[in-house]
Amino acid sequence: MPVATLVSIVDDDESLRQSLPSLVEKFGFRVRTFKSAEEFLASDCLGQTACLILDIAMPGMSGPELQRELSRRGQKIPIVFITGERDQVLRQQLLAGGAVECLFKPFSPAALREALNSALGVS
Amino acid sequence: MSQSTCSGSNQTAPVWSGFDPASLSATFGAPCPGGRPPPVTFSALQHHDALLAEIERLSSTGGFCWHATTGEMTCTGEVYRIFELDAEVPLTLELLGTRVHPDDLPLFNDMIGRARENTGGFECQLRLRTETAKYLQLSARRSDGAGDQSLYFGAIQDVTQRRQSEEALGNVRCELARLARVSSLGSLTASIAHEINQPLAGIITNASTCLEILGSDPPDLDAARETARRTIRDTERACEVITRLRTLFGKRGGKTESVDLNGAAREVIALSLSDLHRRRVTLRAELADDLPLVTGDRVQLQQVILNLLLNAAEAMTLIEERPRQLVICTASEAADRVRLSVQDTGVGFEPHDTQRLFEPFYTTKSGGMGIGLSVSRSIIESHDGRLWGERNAGPGATFTFSIPVRGPQCNGHNLGAGRAFVHTERHLRRT
Repeated sequence: MPVATLVSIVDDDESLRQSLPSLVEKFGFRVRTFKSAEEFLASDCLGQTACLILDIAMPGMSGPELQRELSRRGQKIPIVFITGERDQVLRQQLLAGGAVECLFKPFSPAALREALNSALGVS
Repeated sequence: MSQSTCSGSNQTAPVWSGFDPASLSATFGAPCPGGRPPPVTFSALQHHDALLAEIERLSSTGGFCWHATTGEMTCTGEVYRIFELDAEVPLTLELLGTRVHPDDLPLFNDMIGRARENTGGFECQLRLRTETAKYLQLSARRSDGAGDQSLYFGAIQDVTQRRQSEEALGNVRCELARLARVSSLGSLTASIAHEINQPLAGIITNASTCLEILGSDPPDLDAARETARRTIRDTERACEVITRLRTLFGKRGGKTESVDLNGAAREVIALSLSDLHRRRVTLRAELADDLPLVTGDRVQLQQVILNLLLNAAEAMTLIEERPRQLVICTASEAADRVRLSVQDTGVGFEPHDTQRLFEPFYTTKSGGMGIGLSVSRSIIESHDGRLWGERNAGPGATFTFSIPVRGPQCNGHNLGAGRAFVHTERHLRRT
């Protein structure tokens, strides 16, 4: 049986790190969660992560900063941003910067599924 | 016989109603030991009486003399006027008691009781149930002469006008404080939306997961229960945020309670944390263990903490060359005081601005109203405390307030509007 595709979630909100994995697993993915960008960078998941669900505002390194760092390291991981702030300008900037999607919390499971499928090139 | 007198009138009434100089002489012995008093003419006495009566009216203060054992009492005309009593009626404390507001009667009776037990003196504030409600300041002390130790001399002042002005001032201050809160609410909008959206995201995710689980065959009921539980938890979290907001920004009068300054600070930090993150500010909280509770208005103190946090964050907006670091500390001080300080690495302020910072409408920020620090200082002063700003040895500034653990006793300057009239009773030390 093939190993399911790995989706990594980076969010400082503990509640979300508990709830989101169950949903993403229901979509058929494997999930790892990280409470900060630094923790993700230090993990052994960078190479295996097929898609990153990434919070924007976090203590320490922010989501967009992690995006830049990954790009600097040549890691081309598709990113779906999630954020509690409804900032359309920032959203446009992130999409222009190569993000697959930027979802405003609270987002619907359908929107997340669509974003993940789009990130992984699944139709 | 009229008790009121008017300067220039020939019909001056004696100031002391029912006063018998002989009885006072009997009480104190000879009024002028070692010799006879200088001769006083009747018209000079009349003139003196008229003058005293006029001064009484001007200062709304009447005098009285009371014998704690016999209950005998003599009063000046102003006391009759304040209590709205008929001048012909012989005065007793009991009669005065019938005019005291029922809520203040226990205090009044208690005061008389203590005086009869021969305390050195008493002082209290009372309300009267006269046609228009009046507030009185009453103070008396035992005669320290060699005579009768049960004799008290006292003054009763009608402080209604002062009281009303203080209340009006309190209302204005309260409204200004609320305005400052609402203004800080505006700058926290993004942070608040974030705080609420976070649990909402959890609710939707958990409920959706629950549906997905229930839709699979066979459904994993334990997992479904777990997601339902998480939905409830996130809902409670959203409710907590709303409750915090309502207490912090709702319209309310002052309320004095025991306040855990650390807890109050933590709540403010929770509300502003994502705002600080957005501003790329890192916050370190150094909250002292075993910090004693303070007596005060929790919401107002939280407003001060919030103002200091927002000020500090705003002072660092343009800082790029060093970390934007904010440290909030609480500590116990000697002499039953606690302090809270907020330190930043921002632009700081010039030495000559040290006092101007606290002036209303003084601001260095484009979006600020300039009332944050001024309102904060008046809140802290109403807690008998002190708020000041200092330049750091390195970059930035530190703002600190220090308040007594016991908090404000009785005062009319409290920011709380509609506060119940507070009584004080102080037993004067006999000198």
